[in-house]
Amino acid sequence: VDTFIQLTIDALTLGSVYALIALGYTLVYGVLKLLNFAHGDVFMVGSFAGFGVFQLLGGANPKVPLWLFLTLVTLAAMAACAGLGVVIERFAYRPLRDAPRIAPLISALGVSFFLSNSMQLLFGAAPKNYDTFDIHNAVLYTSGFDIGNVHMPLLRVITIAAAFVLMVALWFLVNKTRTGKAMRATSFDREAAAMMGIDIDKVIVFTFVLGSALAGAAGVFFALRVPTTVSIGFVAGLKGFTAAVIGGIGSIPGAMAGGLILGFAESYTQGYISTQWSDLFVFSLLIAFMIFRPQGLLGRADIRKV
Amino acid sequence: MKKAIALAIAVLTTTVVAASAQGSQTAAAKAAAGYSCSKTISIPFITPITGGAGFLGAEQMSWATYAAKTLAPALGLKVKIVGEDTPVEQGATPANAVAQKIIGDSSALAALGPATSGDVAATAKVFYAAHLAHISPSATRTDFTQGPASAREEYPTFFRDVPGDYIQGPTDANYMIKTLHVKKVVIMDFQEPYSLGLAAAVENVLKKAGVSTSRLSAPNTTTDYSAYVTKVPSDADIVFFPTQKPGDAQTFAQQLIEQGKKAKVFGSDGSNDSSQFKQPGSYVSNFAPDITAIPADAQIIAGWKKANPGKSVGSFGPPSYGATQILLHAIKLACNQGHGTATRQAVLRNVKKVSIKNWILGGTFKWSTKSNDPLNAKFYIFQIQSNGSYKLVG
Repeated sequence: VDTFIQLTIDALTLGSVYALIALGYTLVYGVLKLLNFAHGDVFMVGSFAGFGVFQLLGGANPKVPLWLFLTLVTLAAMAACAGLGVVIERFAYRPLRDAPRIAPLISALGVSFFLSNSMQLLFGAAPKNYDTFDIHNAVLYTSGFDIGNVHMPLLRVITIAAAFVLMVALWFLVNKTRTGKAMRATSFDREAAAMMGIDIDKVIVFTFVLGSALAGAAGVFFALRVPTTVSIGFVAGLKGFTAAVIGGIGSIPGAMAGGLILGFAESYTQGYISTQWSDLFVFSLLIAFMIFRPQGLLGRADIRKV
Repeated sequence: MKKAIALAIAVLTTTVVAASAQGSQTAAAKAAAGYSCSKTISIPFITPITGGAGFLGAEQMSWATYAAKTLAPALGLKVKIVGEDTPVEQGATPANAVAQKIIGDSSALAALGPATSGDVAATAKVFYAAHLAHISPSATRTDFTQGPASAREEYPTFFRDVPGDYIQGPTDANYMIKTLHVKKVVIMDFQEPYSLGLAAAVENVLKKAGVSTSRLSAPNTTTDYSAYVTKVPSDADIVFFPTQKPGDAQTFAQQLIEQGKKAKVFGSDGSNDSSQFKQPGSYVSNFAPDITAIPADAQIIAGWKKANPGKSVGSFGPPSYGATQILLHAIKLACNQGHGTATRQAVLRNVKKVSIKNWILGGTFKWSTKSNDPLNAKFYIFQIQSNGSYKLVG
């Protein structure tokens, strides 16, 4: 039972991060029908931006209360990534908006390499460790609560809760606000939305802002627990993409569900089947969905009039 | 149509075969041709400059560059160290491409690296065919230099100036048995040659001593080890963690504490970096002692620090300095024998003739007469102290 509880905690932590990344893929795909393969690197930039602010605010000896410290680090990373998302959309995707679909896809790959190499040039190849373990004698690890014999550390509680709050906020924004309605309209039929007076450019930019900001938050939540490097974006991006496909790319609840399912699949495979073959299982899941349910769990089937 | 396809395949096959043959001939011709010692000689260094092990390549490059800059002029040589990046996350593919590039460069009379065992395995045949001597300051897999000759036919041009896992494995395991008195050990591997070889070497000795062992295997791209930590038994004494990414050893040690496990992490030479792996109580082994404690090295360290402000002396750099020093002397000997012209074969012949007094790792450097390994080299074991420093304990 203890193993099950521990693996479930791992799955929720991991799944929350995957879900936040998957939301970025799904938002952009929903509006632009573009697979933004640079999204994993936006996640990486978020973890670096958070690291910079983490250091500025005192590192392992924070100059402000811990809750404010973590909030500021996360918000700064979200803001940095939101800005980056705007720049990427403006210079890498907007000029190709009417080009064949392969063009922005190639541009996305180019942006991915540009980001990872630029970050390395600027900040070096050495891993960046947030040193959260050293904050107030490991308070983020030793405090928290127990479930049976298993300890649920505060850092994991914060990660899961913060990711959940962000997902709820996103759901509210998309479903209950005028901006969200404009996003949904643009996603449904871009041309019709434009004819109804919706500023498509603004909606698309806002979509990139949202998706990138969520990736920034995911970058911080991830890097609070493990060291970050310029290369983390690749695997994290792939996992986020897989989560988006499993949930149904273009579907916001699908991305959330897909992230959590992926987290559970990975964690339970490592715990109960084999640590060696967990990636094999996870990516087999991707292939299985592509073959048997390409629209994902909660996505819409693409119906074409012939 | 079928005839046209068959013809196209035949033409393509002939072209590929001809190109391969031409490539081999070109490499062989370059090996045989002399290169003027008055020109700038390039020494490529195949090492991960980027990626998770980028710290290792950056450190190695800085020491090799410093050695070339300070030692080559005294030998009358003009040498440049050329970094060839092989990120560990990308497997052997970059190393293969780099090896082809190196053998095509007539100014490359010898090479440094590859830094990792996986890249040595991937490139040794190419270098052997080109008669190119290459000295690794960090690839420790045993079967490159030890064991039946029939099993290592492609490695005669491979050398290393650090001891291999045939010493590291037993040293680490014996320390666990005799000093730590372990009963149960978990052994990790990362599904690549370095960790697989080392994990097997440690497991072998532990099992013979009656220690209970279990194995966990993680892909080399793993960053979060929480699920692996879950599988560590609560009564395990040690988790042997032969990674090439020291930050991962730190993560694992922290996640052990997070889950209330008492086991300590025992890292290998690949995790020997006090700026990243700093969990007090953990152990780490390495092929080099702390050279800051060697009085004869004070001048070298001061010079290197001046050239690399803000950097601290790690464990991967000094053997790279040493490997560069050996190659410079071998090239000098080849130049003397060739009356101002050197060939790759001549450099290769002279590598094992080099012996260096006041070796950067202490004492005198000599090659073993039985293999391309250093004579009397050994591994050192450090324990991480509460202030994060490494204390020599074995």
